[in-house]
Amino acid sequence: MRTTNSRTMIDLLFYIFAAITLISALLMVVSPNAVNAAMCMIVAFVSTAALFVLLEAYFLAILQVLVYAGAVMVLFLFIIMLLDVDKDTSHILKDKLTLGASIMGFALLIILICAAFAGDSSLPEPTLLPVSENPVGDGIGIPFTSSAKSFGYSLFTKYMLPFQVTGFLLLAAMIGVIVVSKKHEESSN
Amino acid sequence: MTATQSLLAVLLTPLLSAALIAFFFRRMGKVASAISVLAAACIFVFSLFAIREARNETVAFSWNWLHFGDYSVSIGFLFDGVAATMLTMVGLVGFLIHVFSLGYMANDQGRARFFGGLSIFMFSMLGIVLADNLIMIFIFWELVGFSSYMLIGHYLDTDEAAAASKKAFIVNRVGDLGFLIGIVYAYWHFGTTNLSEMHGIVAANSQWVSGSIAALLMCGFIGKSAQFPLHVWLPDAMAGPTPVSALIHAATMVAAGVYFLIRIDFLFPVEVLQLIAWLGTSVAVYAGFCAYGQNDIKKILAYSTLSQLGYMSAAFGLGYPGIALFHLITHAFFKALLFLAAGSVIHGCHHEQDIFKMGGLLKKMPITAITFLIGTLALCGVYGFAGFYSKDAILIAAGLGNTPVFVLLTLGAFLTAGYMGRLFWVAFLGQPKSDSASHAHESPLNILVPLIVLAVLSLGGGWIGFWPEQLGAIIKDNLDHLHHMEGYAGMHKTVLVAGSTAWIVGLVLSLLFYGAGAKEDRLEQKAAPIYGFLKARLWFDEIYGYYVAKIQQRLAIFLSFIDIFVIKGIFVRGSAGLVGLVGICSRSLHDGNIHSYVYWFLAGLLALWAAASGIL
Amino acid sequence: MTVGLNAFILVAALLFAIGLFGVILRKNTLVIYMSLELMLNAVNLALVAFSRYNGTMDGNLFVFFIITVAAAEVALGLAIIVALFRLRQTVMVDQLTSLSR
Repeated sequence: MRTTNSRTMIDLLFYIFAAITLISALLMVVSPNAVNAAMCMIVAFVSTAALFVLLEAYFLAILQVLVYAGAVMVLFLFIIMLLDVDKDTSHILKDKLTLGASIMGFALLIILICAAFAGDSSLPEPTLLPVSENPVGDGIGIPFTSSAKSFGYSLFTKYMLPFQVTGFLLLAAMIGVIVVSKKHEESSN
Repeated sequence: MTATQSLLAVLLTPLLSAALIAFFFRRMGKVASAISVLAAACIFVFSLFAIREARNETVAFSWNWLHFGDYSVSIGFLFDGVAATMLTMVGLVGFLIHVFSLGYMANDQGRARFFGGLSIFMFSMLGIVLADNLIMIFIFWELVGFSSYMLIGHYLDTDEAAAASKKAFIVNRVGDLGFLIGIVYAYWHFGTTNLSEMHGIVAANSQWVSGSIAALLMCGFIGKSAQFPLHVWLPDAMAGPTPVSALIHAATMVAAGVYFLIRIDFLFPVEVLQLIAWLGTSVAVYAGFCAYGQNDIKKILAYSTLSQLGYMSAAFGLGYPGIALFHLITHAFFKALLFLAAGSVIHGCHHEQDIFKMGGLLKKMPITAITFLIGTLALCGVYGFAGFYSKDAILIAAGLGNTPVFVLLTLGAFLTAGYMGRLFWVAFLGQPKSDSASHAHESPLNILVPLIVLAVLSLGGGWIGFWPEQLGAIIKDNLDHLHHMEGYAGMHKTVLVAGSTAWIVGLVLSLLFYGAGAKEDRLEQKAAPIYGFLKARLWFDEIYGYYVAKIQQRLAIFLSFIDIFVIKGIFVRGSAGLVGLVGICSRSLHDGNIHSYVYWFLAGLLALWAAASGIL
Repeated sequence: MTVGLNAFILVAALLFAIGLFGVILRKNTLVIYMSLELMLNAVNLALVAFSRYNGTMDGNLFVFFIITVAAAEVALGLAIIVALFRLRQTVMVDQLTSLSR
């Protein structure tokens, strides 16, 4: 692969997608219209998927787009339009105290984080290890590959129990949804 | 049946009778009275069985009732000669008074309650007589106090009966406080409260005798037997029915104090005995003077009882418990007789009790009058009657031991003859002075027969040679000891002369001074200040009343203030309020606002984080 | 690339903070829920970054499970919100205060 250009290219991509993620997240949080908020959320999820691609977790990127942006947010939009909520105009700008407190808190958080990660006394960085070819590993950790084969291997050996439990969890969720959203015919409960 | 079984029967029969009356027969006077009298008869019969089975030995029986660690309270009997003597007297006199009550209380609405009270009283008294350890005595002591309270307050609708019963109970409780402290101290000192065991310890080594234990235990005796300064309840207790006065406040309960002293006489060092002798002598003389200021027949007899109790404790204080017991028994006979005869008089005169409104009763109620006369002569110590022998012995003992006591006791004998003479001449001779007296009639048979029996006993009760051999051993011992003392013969003559002079002069002088069948008290007429002074009885009641009302009540109010504000207000309500405050604070977290929940969640998270990283 | 782990963690932390402030400051229940999902997403990003720079697969697999569980939880949460709306005809948090006096 190319050296400086590709490296610079990847860095640029990182900056772009990180910016998109953060900006859309911010927009989501402040927009009064719920549908707008949902759309911004979808953008944030998709750009997070892009960040996953940059981290060479291709399977997860696709999973993110399919499940999160595709299923979860569509469900959100569905419910938002079902419930037909009004504009949420009474948010942060109304209450002076909340506004002041939130701005101060936000600023404090940013200062903290930047102090941790940038500047002279920032945390040390690990070096990037090469991607291994063989998904089957020895020892404790499964070596990082970018193939879906390692997912399959791990899920059926090391993470068998969580896998099965997740299956049951999904079943329980499904049953729960059906029960909760059932219309009750009796008059008094 | 064995002695122990007979004794158990003696103790439990009156309890059974009281229980039956209390649960089933509270409205049925006739059945209740029959049950009670039957129980009294059974007591006497069983006690005779017990004496026969004991065959002159001491019967001891003990049963562990409660365990507290290595300390146990036991119920038991100590049936020696003293107990046997007392038991016979209590049984016999008790039975006679029960029979008397059949007639006396025949028209009373609360008859069943009265007989229930009598049965409970018999149970408690017999418990004291038979008990073998201090704790059991104390339990029955309190039970006797309760029975006395219940019986004094029998006439529910009169204020003075209620006040008198409260006074009796409270004054007794003051004495019992000292008693209880004495029991605790005795247990701490000896390691046991059993009488035989304590006797053994003291007999082995006389260093164990402790004056303070004796003085504390004496407090119970002072309360129960109405010695100085707790004598104030006895005259007021006359507000109860006459059989109660006879049984409880003459023959048995007040004698229980003296009996208790006789039981524990091994505990007394010489100083405490001296104190008892002086207390007894002083109350003997004091009561003798007070009796001249009273017009109520029962009150005069009450002061006479006080005086004779003083004689008993003087005898004990002089070192002769057997003679004290002797005087106790003869006093029981003639004082019960006097009270019952007075009851017959009251019954016959339709509840008139003022002697200056009676008169001429010798003609209207002859049998009563003659038995009353026999009782009076026994009380004055006339030669040959029961009272003579015991009083004589006391005077001799005083003369040989302690001359001031002897002089005072002889003065007391003179005073006794004086006021009893005053009573008899005014009430029984002359002309009737009121309607109720002129319509007086002789009482029915069930009142008269006990009087006659008691009169016979007052006559012959002092002839100790005729007593059955199981009874009165300690009395005979003490009398023998007295006989062999130095100077006995001379003192015997002196006492004979002095005693006879006392009663002859007393009776004659009172006849001359007061006059037979007088309308008013001549002393009151001629020397009103003296009469007033005698009537005031040294202002004991007033002093006590002032102390309770002004001093003690103020202290009680102050303590109650502390109780309400400090203990209840600050500690109890305060701690509850604190808990409530915590509740209110925690409730303020639940305001239904999701955002505040999130804030609190974050705050908790930060706290947890700080604690985990060691900052907190 | 020269972008280090720190940068990814920074982005994840900022996303988390934005999500947190959305939870605290918004009144619409659905938007609060979406901000919650944003926080989960930030965690996912951090996990994948750690996994890559650590050279193991475990982080990725954890993310896999997180996505699954988040999906199930969203379904159930939205069902509850719908039921709440049916009862109270509102999803504004300041009107759902029946627990206070």
